[in-house]
Amino acid sequence: MKRLHVLLTMLLLLCVLLPISAQGAKADASDEVVITMGSWRTDDVEQMNRLLEAYKKLAPEVTIKFQPTNPPDYNATLRLQLDSGTGPDLMYARSYAAGQELYNAGYFADCTDIPGLKENFSPSNLAPWQMSDGTMFAVPFAAVSHAVYYNKDIFKKEDLSIPHNWEAFLLLCSTLEKKGYTPIANGLADEWDILETFFFGLLPNYIGGADMRVQYENGELPLNDKNFVEAYQAMADVARYCPDGFESVTYNDSQVLFNSQKAVMFVDGSWTAGVYKDASFDWGLFAIPAPKGKSTAICFHPDMAITMNKATKYPEEAKAFLAWLCTEEGATTASQNLPSGYFPMINFPIKLEDPHANEFLSLNAGKKTDARFVWPKLMNLYAPMNQAVIKVMKGDITAKQAADSVQALM
Amino acid sequence: MRPNHARHLPWLLYLAPALLVYTVFMAFPLIDSLRLSLFSGNNQATRIFVGLENFKRLFSDPEISTRYWGAFFNTWKFFLVHLVVQNGLGIFFAVLLTHETMKGRHIYQTIIFIPTTFAVLITGYLWKLMLNPVWAGDFLVSIGLPFLKHPYLGDTNTALWAVSLVSCWQWLGIPTMMFVAALRNINIELLEAARLEGAGNVKTFWYIKLPLIKPVVGIIAVLTFVNNFNAFDIVFAMENVNGAPEYSTDLIGTLFYRYGIAGQHPIGIPDAGLGAAIATITFLLLIALVIPTLRKTQRGA
Repeated sequence: MKRLHVLLTMLLLLCVLLPISAQGAKADASDEVVITMGSWRTDDVEQMNRLLEAYKKLAPEVTIKFQPTNPPDYNATLRLQLDSGTGPDLMYARSYAAGQELYNAGYFADCTDIPGLKENFSPSNLAPWQMSDGTMFAVPFAAVSHAVYYNKDIFKKEDLSIPHNWEAFLLLCSTLEKKGYTPIANGLADEWDILETFFFGLLPNYIGGADMRVQYENGELPLNDKNFVEAYQAMADVARYCPDGFESVTYNDSQVLFNSQKAVMFVDGSWTAGVYKDASFDWGLFAIPAPKGKSTAICFHPDMAITMNKATKYPEEAKAFLAWLCTEEGATTASQNLPSGYFPMINFPIKLEDPHANEFLSLNAGKKTDARFVWPKLMNLYAPMNQAVIKVMKGDITAKQAADSVQALM
Repeated sequence: MRPNHARHLPWLLYLAPALLVYTVFMAFPLIDSLRLSLFSGNNQATRIFVGLENFKRLFSDPEISTRYWGAFFNTWKFFLVHLVVQNGLGIFFAVLLTHETMKGRHIYQTIIFIPTTFAVLITGYLWKLMLNPVWAGDFLVSIGLPFLKHPYLGDTNTALWAVSLVSCWQWLGIPTMMFVAALRNINIELLEAARLEGAGNVKTFWYIKLPLIKPVVGIIAVLTFVNNFNAFDIVFAMENVNGAPEYSTDLIGTLFYRYGIAGQHPIGIPDAGLGAAIATITFLLLIALVIPTLRKTQRGA
């Protein structure tokens, strides 16, 4: 019985103490405004904190806390938080459908009238975070690019040069294979990477830029035309140069293969550039080359934007931060603190310091660019296209069958 | 009658805390999730009653129904491998371990049981590396077994078997331990009598030991069934939530996670109602099969 009394007393004490400590936290916050920022970039805590510190110098009464979530869980976690009313005040917004859906659900604030937004971004950079009626639901923050990473040391040693068309690229792979190297590090096990980095990376070479993509979206061109079949065929042709057992090679495995010089090339997104910062070899980049007779185009994908919670307690402060991102000063500070491989989308000419980041940007020069093919309108084709690419690389189906299987769902 | 009732009252009082916790944290969420399967929308405010629409979609939408039946049969395969391999080996090892001539029993018991104490995410990841020809291929060649070099987890014909067998390896210790306990409870006189009558090891097993541990066999079959139909972690650790390659390791658990909790990559819009419909069907299936199994094996136990 005595023990029960002790337990009861402790429970009672706990009940009394909890509200006190909760109130304590509140009392602290009343002097200054603390707003939270949700993100899927767990790797960027350091850079974002530097950016937010820079902002604090301008607005000393506002503290913005960066609280990222594991990337694959971000959409689900954010939804749970927003559904239960505990969402962050500021948050990263995905482009196109994923972002539009959250705006429609009433969670994202209308950002259309944020000063500088309409003036300082080009229409094509605004589009990914725009509703069909022109309402903006976020401020564009950064884009990513896709290219072939290659080991410069091995290229030099074997006296190889950058291929300028797809046929030369396959020839280069075959030369490397004969010399005993694994030409390409990509694998299939994680599924998303082969589609997003490789297939969507080379697709603009076969179908062209945004103007052509629109024709596929509205049905003027079928998704099993000659261009698409050739693109699937390219994936089939390149499969033999992927590692032995590439069916079970994950994205991490690919990175390790390239980083440990076991594989010579890796078709990947710009966001990985930071991983090879300390690589023991010299590496460079080239655009995924187009087949003979076509011009090389780049998959330059609008990736991150920042928006504010419609239900935030501090709408003025959150809005002020977003407006700062639309100014030249804010965008420059932000870009300098972006991790390498993320590129500013604002119109001001911003100089990046990282040489590899500039190498990526230089690939865009004089070429058409576009977002990843399915993102703007055809997101429901993501999974079928992913499976089609995997099957064609395994040799289970032909390129024509792969294209037909996707077109059948249009 | 009256005094009888009064006698029960204190009993109820002692049961109350457990009952309360059980109701709030188990029974209510369970019933609520059954209710959820009749609604659409993710948010309390926008949730609408749609009747059996979610179930209709699950079985008539070509995309969703293909995925559901794929996951359904994969889960059965996953379960049957466990039933045969994990529980079969469990009985086999338990009989060996309890045999009177067995030496070093504790050492073997420990070896068999240790994997169950590891985290699935870690064992799954280690096996994923070991089964990957890129990392383990050179080793297999160096020990003269190059024909074993195969992308087991990337091949649709082998992936589900590989995942199932790794799971069997990990959980083998549990049925083994329970069978050992059951076999030790058998009266030694029965076994001696059987031996005097001239029964060998095989006959003793089939006619004496197995019938006597039948209730445990039943319980373990039911536990395996329930656990396997809720399995998710091992596929998550060794493949991905899509049940790669080409949905060949997609289980009801991963399907439920994709539709009901996380949403499909890359949009990630979950459909809680559809998820709840999948969970409800699994729940009914479990009840429909568990109750007769328990009735049959637990009679007289």
